[in-house]
Amino acid sequence: MSTVVRTAHEVTASALGWLHAHRELGAFEDDATADLGDNDSVYKPLCELALASSLVLREGVAGSAELRAARELLEFSWRQLRAGDLLYERQLRHGLVTDPLETYVHHARGGLRHEALEQLFEQTSAADSITEVLPNRRLAVANAHRVAGLRRDDDFQGMLRQTWLGRTPQPWALDWYTAYYMTHAVFHVTDWGAMPGELPPDVVGYLENWLPAWFEVWAEAGQWDLVGELLIVGACLPEPWCEPARWELFAGVQHGDGLVPRDAEPVDDDPWRRYHDHQHTTVVATIAGTLTTSRLLGGGT
Amino acid sequence: MDASSCARDAAHLAGRVLGALRGGSDADLADFLDSCADPAAGLGAVRLVGADVFLPHLVLNRPLDARDVDVVVASFEFLSSVTAPVTTEQRVLAWHDWSTARLLAGLTGDVPAATPEDPTAVLGPAEDWQRWSVAVAQLSSLAHPGATGPVVDVVAAQPLALCRGVVRTVLRRDFATASRLTRWLCLLHAAGVRLPVDPVLLLGHIEPRVGAEPRRLLDLAVARHLVGAA
Repeated sequence: MSTVVRTAHEVTASALGWLHAHRELGAFEDDATADLGDNDSVYKPLCELALASSLVLREGVAGSAELRAARELLEFSWRQLRAGDLLYERQLRHGLVTDPLETYVHHARGGLRHEALEQLFEQTSAADSITEVLPNRRLAVANAHRVAGLRRDDDFQGMLRQTWLGRTPQPWALDWYTAYYMTHAVFHVTDWGAMPGELPPDVVGYLENWLPAWFEVWAEAGQWDLVGELLIVGACLPEPWCEPARWELFAGVQHGDGLVPRDAEPVDDDPWRRYHDHQHTTVVATIAGTLTTSRLLGGGT
Repeated sequence: MDASSCARDAAHLAGRVLGALRGGSDADLADFLDSCADPAAGLGAVRLVGADVFLPHLVLNRPLDARDVDVVVASFEFLSSVTAPVTTEQRVLAWHDWSTARLLAGLTGDVPAATPEDPTAVLGPAEDWQRWSVAVAQLSSLAHPGATGPVVDVVAAQPLALCRGVVRTVLRRDFATASRLTRWLCLLHAAGVRLPVDPVLLLGHIEPRVGAEPRRLLDLAVARHLVGAA
């Protein structure tokens, strides 16, 4: 087992264990309705939890304890979404939003399905009932349709060319926000590393050239959340970029209990604050470790 | 010799060279030295600006005044070159001095200076492009029009490491280092080396952000000349 595989595997196991141990902190406080007063407080983190869990299950390279934890986390988020009913009600109430589909596919990928909701998605898709979004978000919606098995005439390559990444700009023409857009364009066009060949050769070459430089910049700034996303991008390339020193650096910021801090600021002691501040980065670490381990063991080819 | 006086005089001298490159009067090293309150600091400044004092002659073919030659020679007599460098700083200085002495010899017809040790001793491995590019930046005065030599050969063989270094410095908003690396990048461009960034766009990005430090403006003036000549 290579050094990187071992490091990535350990980061995943520890991060997943932390997410599993603290999952109740990510539950809805009251009965959530389709209107969801604040999407980002519980709903979006649940979606991210389901994403990470579904990828751990999809790749199947984790140990038995981690696979069990991933299954339980996916079931936890599914229960929170009232086995899909919340998504169904939300899609009915807000016809053009795409988050029900994007949330649903993580569960569907793990075998948790909702027949009426899928029929609703088919209708909204056929009518192109999709709100207008940024190009990288449009790729996210297209990938959700693809994973859900909803047939569309989405042109992934054309969509990619509409994103910042697709234009392969001068590599200094990047800021923190746009770096996230770049990472997400890669995630969605490759379906989180499942199809590295979906990245056109010029984009692959561009990422191979500049990922190391971007990594250094944001690692120096202690932006661990973005650093983790850059590691995911590396794992989505046809020839994975996963240098041992970079992985050691990332693993080094992980706390003993599995939490991965979002940045270089002090981590609060309060359990609720710890969870809500750092859940996203710990999800990112879970995905980065899972995809890196899988790709190095031959997955995604 | 007061280091801050030396740095101030070096900025002044770089400003005079820059003025000459922009079509103004000659840098006139002898006149510069006369204007320095402390001649020792003035000679130190000449050594600090190094090979760049010859830019008006290299770029604009201006004749080299015998008094300018005397000033450069005097700067070497005042502070002798490091012959057996040990620290990184000394190694950088040795190559910096070599470039000055070599250009002087080329312009006067004298015997060329002895070449320092293998450039990898100061640059390190290009795989460690973060550190490598910082060392390359410190040797920016070696990147002048028509430059050749061991350091140029090593840098020209590593365009990606150089470009990663400049992208990192730009994103860190370290435009001083970025200007020095851009000078190298433009030298490679002028030599026909294929680069993964557009040097003209890079130059256009850095020029309005670099500030007013004359030595860095000199780097960019050289870079602009190099892309213009490419």
